[in-house]
Amino acid sequence: MLSAYLVVSSMMLGQPSLEIHPPAVKLTGPTATQRVIVLRTEDKAIVGDATGRAEFFSANPKVAIIDENGVVKAVGDGETSISAAHDDMNVSIKVKVEKTRTPEPVSFVNHVIPILTKVGCNSGACHGALAGKGGMKLSLRGYDPDADHFVLTRQANARRVNRQEPARSLMLMKPTLALSHGGGLKLDVKSPEFRVLADWIAEGAYLTSPQRKQGESDPKLERIEAFPPRATLAKDDQLQIIVRAWYSDGHAEDVTRWARYSSTEDLVAGVDDQGAVKVGGHGEAAIAVLYANQVALVRIASPFENNVDPKVFAQSPRHNFIDPLVIKKLEALKIPPSPQCLDSEFIRRAYLDAIGRLPTPAEVAAFTKNPNRGKLVNALVERSEFVDYWTYKWADLLLISSRKLPQPAMRSFHHFVRQSVADNMPWDRFTREILTVRGNTLQNGQANYFMLHKDISDLTETTALTFMGMSITCARCHNHPLEKWTQDQYWGMANLFAQIAIKNGERAGEFSIQSASEGDVAHPRRGIAMPPTPLDGNSLPSPHRGRGAGGEGVIDRREYFADWLTSPDNPYFAKALVNRVWRNFMGRGLVEAEDDHRQTNPPSNGELLDALALDFVKNKYDVKHLVRTIMNSAAYQRSATPQAANKADDRFYSRYLIRRLPAEVVLDAYSDITKVPTAFTQVAVGSSGGNAATVDYPLGTRALQLPDTQLVSQFLDAFGRPERGQTCACERQQESSVTQALHLNNGQTLNDKLRNKKSRIEDWLTEKIDDDEAIRRIFLLALSRPPSERESAHFRKIMREDPQAARREVLEDLCWSVLTSREFLFNR
Amino acid sequence: MFRLDAQRPARFCDGLTRRDFLHAGAIPVLGLTLGHCFSLAGRASDGAYRPSLARPANSDVNCIMLFLVGGPSHIDTWDPKPAAPEEVRGPFRPTATNVPGMQIAEIFPRMARHADKYSLVRSVYHTATAVHDTGHQMMQTGRLFTGGIEHPHVGCTLGYVKGGRGEMPSHVLIPRPIGRTGGNLPHGHTAGYLGRQHDPFILNADPAVPDFQVPDLLPPSYIAPIRADRRQRLRDGVDAAMEAFENNTQSRQLDASFQLAYRLMSSPRARDAFNLNQESPAVRDRYGRTRFGQSCLLARRLIERGVRFVTVNMFETVFDEVTWDIHGSRPFTDIAQMSREVVPNFDRAYSALLEDLTERGLYSNTMVTALGEFGRTPKINPAGGRDHHPGVWTILMGGGPIRGGRIIGESDELGYRPKSRPVTSGEVAATLYRGLGLDIHRELPGPQNRPLPLVDFGVQAIRELF
Repeated sequence: MLSAYLVVSSMMLGQPSLEIHPPAVKLTGPTATQRVIVLRTEDKAIVGDATGRAEFFSANPKVAIIDENGVVKAVGDGETSISAAHDDMNVSIKVKVEKTRTPEPVSFVNHVIPILTKVGCNSGACHGALAGKGGMKLSLRGYDPDADHFVLTRQANARRVNRQEPARSLMLMKPTLALSHGGGLKLDVKSPEFRVLADWIAEGAYLTSPQRKQGESDPKLERIEAFPPRATLAKDDQLQIIVRAWYSDGHAEDVTRWARYSSTEDLVAGVDDQGAVKVGGHGEAAIAVLYANQVALVRIASPFENNVDPKVFAQSPRHNFIDPLVIKKLEALKIPPSPQCLDSEFIRRAYLDAIGRLPTPAEVAAFTKNPNRGKLVNALVERSEFVDYWTYKWADLLLISSRKLPQPAMRSFHHFVRQSVADNMPWDRFTREILTVRGNTLQNGQANYFMLHKDISDLTETTALTFMGMSITCARCHNHPLEKWTQDQYWGMANLFAQIAIKNGERAGEFSIQSASEGDVAHPRRGIAMPPTPLDGNSLPSPHRGRGAGGEGVIDRREYFADWLTSPDNPYFAKALVNRVWRNFMGRGLVEAEDDHRQTNPPSNGELLDALALDFVKNKYDVKHLVRTIMNSAAYQRSATPQAANKADDRFYSRYLIRRLPAEVVLDAYSDITKVPTAFTQVAVGSSGGNAATVDYPLGTRALQLPDTQLVSQFLDAFGRPERGQTCACERQQESSVTQALHLNNGQTLNDKLRNKKSRIEDWLTEKIDDDEAIRRIFLLALSRPPSERESAHFRKIMREDPQAARREVLEDLCWSVLTSREFLFNR
Repeated sequence: MFRLDAQRPARFCDGLTRRDFLHAGAIPVLGLTLGHCFSLAGRASDGAYRPSLARPANSDVNCIMLFLVGGPSHIDTWDPKPAAPEEVRGPFRPTATNVPGMQIAEIFPRMARHADKYSLVRSVYHTATAVHDTGHQMMQTGRLFTGGIEHPHVGCTLGYVKGGRGEMPSHVLIPRPIGRTGGNLPHGHTAGYLGRQHDPFILNADPAVPDFQVPDLLPPSYIAPIRADRRQRLRDGVDAAMEAFENNTQSRQLDASFQLAYRLMSSPRARDAFNLNQESPAVRDRYGRTRFGQSCLLARRLIERGVRFVTVNMFETVFDEVTWDIHGSRPFTDIAQMSREVVPNFDRAYSALLEDLTERGLYSNTMVTALGEFGRTPKINPAGGRDHHPGVWTILMGGGPIRGGRIIGESDELGYRPKSRPVTSGEVAATLYRGLGLDIHRELPGPQNRPLPLVDFGVQAIRELF
């Protein structure tokens, strides 16, 4: 016991050493510099920034020198090394210096625009606004360098640059307030930014320097690196990030000063505009580093200050591949997992999450007698309510409703989804059937996807959101500010949907979706069509694009897109679906919001998301398999009760996250428990805002079986049923509102069910059951557990207070109080 | 962030500037109409707002927004064009008001006597699609909804920033949200990206019907107080997994909603606020016994009892109802119908509201704005009506810090487009925000936590109104 503890503690202390980042320095040009940082490591994990306390040395000051801040400066061509010493530890890295005799011109694209971006000149609030500002308009964050160059060098009588006297250029005088500037002081005359801009003007303010050979352009930015890629720090620690850009000619530049920084979790770790990180809390944060159109991340972990016995992690159950990955993360952050939940908790949770209904008391009794959780999971995914629940979910995702579709078309679309879920159609095939559909909208229900999204931008954006969980809307008008997507990529993707024809069908209200063999959509700024390209995939080769050349050799662009999307190598497709299903069960997506996958919004556990996606692909996109895998994990089966040490965690799955039940599930549960079904007899119709009677939904139709969200229900509206108007997980509202509370208290939905002469309460009156039995029964029905002795006593006492009270009313009040309790309204 | 209006001290109606006030320090409150409400003022979700009894009432301004659904014809109402050709000027003549030089159409005789209480902004315009829904979005939120972002109603933003006063909801919408008006787009009456918990409290009932009451506010007759009490106490008895629930924000929100519901149900003030039977028949008649008239009266009662913002929709739809949407043919309205029914209804209720607020000392800290989603085409169409025209129209603003008796901007000779000082919906929203005492540069957490300022960068309040 003692020796085990010693082993563990020495491991935790680890082997301290130092690292310098970047691990090698390359300096190109006479003025090149690179700042380095010195990091303390333990067992190769970075645990602190020692730059400020380290001493630096250069092995050969004739090649490179280094100052006390860690800035390495080029002196002469050659190779040398620099070293850092701190706390009796030593480390050194190689430095290569080249081209110190050939000055490089300042590049408009690579140097000027990033400075304008960093300083904020081309931000949406200033000259980057659609209408510009103060008579000058730049492209938002510099996505259109050619136009920006024209604006700066030609417009306003070319007064913005003065090549003879650079300091008299408007573009320097205004931001330095030498002349009045609506935007205020933006640039210091002594700053390196001013220097670079002035140099660029003095060199001639060229778009491409004449020093370049004919036809040669400036080196292109290829990638950026952020150092350190990850670090485990403690509260109040600080860390300087270093950003290095690599260009197509093989040279690198230190762009730390001009990158932009933001933290995904300011409360865990904040970052200033120079890349200095300060840890303020516990958990994980990702620092997004943006430079030009490139994104890099620095992951900061700040373990909780918990003293957790390592045995807690070692002994936490591992049911399948999910669990080691969850536990690994919890252990790194020192968050102890809660123990596993009770069987009675599990069965209620599993039913609600997988099939959207409560288990009956008989089902609970049978299960708790023979609690085989795996077997229960296998049985649940084969039930008809599983089809109801998941059809409803995908109908939300695909916006199936008579709001925009005529009733027959809406039904046809719904039928397609329902049949696919019933057949457990693999998700890749389901997706392909929708995206490549040909034929008429009443027979091939999925064709209505294209009726809902006739506008090409809407279709492009909805497709990205639905199947990749990714919003690319920003890139419609300008390069995405938080993502790598460019406007060119957007319109390349849009062009994949340019060859779709909608024709009238044979009957009224019927349409036919076909592929056309020609047609292109033009990039609105360039005025030409971009090669049809699925985002960062390969373009459809031009012989197959079908530009008016007829059908010969033309590849259907939708097929081409579907091939790319559903390919096992596609990095977005499987993750998007896996995350949606994961969130359904775990209460929070690995990526949250569930449809906000982007580089700057990284998953809380990337390894786990990768593993889930890989497993999903390996199992041929089998959604039921995915559901079973998640439900069988120990992570899903944990108790919802927080422990002192995991109370603050809401994203690493140390316990089951409780959440309010969806509107439809609550309404169906009220029907089941009272034995009084909900009547759906009115449907909101047309543009007049009126309701029409409908007989399409026989009494007993469950809310989760409705194909449409236009059926009138005050209850469903109050509890946040999505409208299915916009593809967004945010449409479904999970918040509680006063309207809900008033409706439960005084509204008709629940009160009428309780008062109904055929309700379950009537049975109880006939049976003449006593208070204890009534309390026991409603608890079992609604909460899937018997009441505690304390609860029984509480209810019994109040129920007996008033000897005059009508028995029926007392029973109604008993049921009401349990059916409006938070324990009933929440899954836990 | 720099502010262009930073040099201009905010002016209160009592003549003090904000700077004077700050220098004066803590002034004891005297004669505050709503003083008892302020002591209960809620905290903002971000805790930024600190209600203080030491602030004059005018620094905590309320607002009533009368939404004239359908889009009133500016030429036939508050921007008459007597010199225009017959097919433009329409059937009504201008009439003088109690403000020299301000003329409105003769069909508003009551309003004409109160022109010193409101100003006309005659150069509002928008450039979005000319359907009702876009105008509803822009006039209620200050922005057109694009990119899937639903912006919050001005009243919801106010509630988000300042919270409610005591048990009263911060923003109440009466009688019902705007329904279908053809465009099938959101109308902008919600809290949008701020989240459902900041949505207005929606009345969902017609205050003009004899047995009017708030749906679900009061227990149905079969739930006697003794039962209501029993239910609440029974409900408290389900107590498993306390820690799990107390550690969860959604669950705490559920508890808070039930508590607010109980407070509303049990608060005499809240119940009073919605009880129009407490108004004398004379007062009820003064507002007109129409849905809109009684809604205006209800709005006054709500403001009086601590609600910060009331939105009154004059109509729910523009189909098969006599509204401002005077296309001239069925299912819409024609000009004569409008002047017979819609105009007197508005003239009476609006004038009564301004008078009543003034008499009760509420008008000095309650803005009232009456606005539609667009104007109407200057040229009368073959059906004898006018069609949608977002090119220019007129809105009414007054109360609180807004000056009355002014005319802001003008339309051209034909009422076709703004001739001077064009005003956008963003500027209208900025004016309301400024009047309500909110910093228009304040940022709200938008979708994906993208910070969004109350109004777009560079948009300013209409300062001539202050």
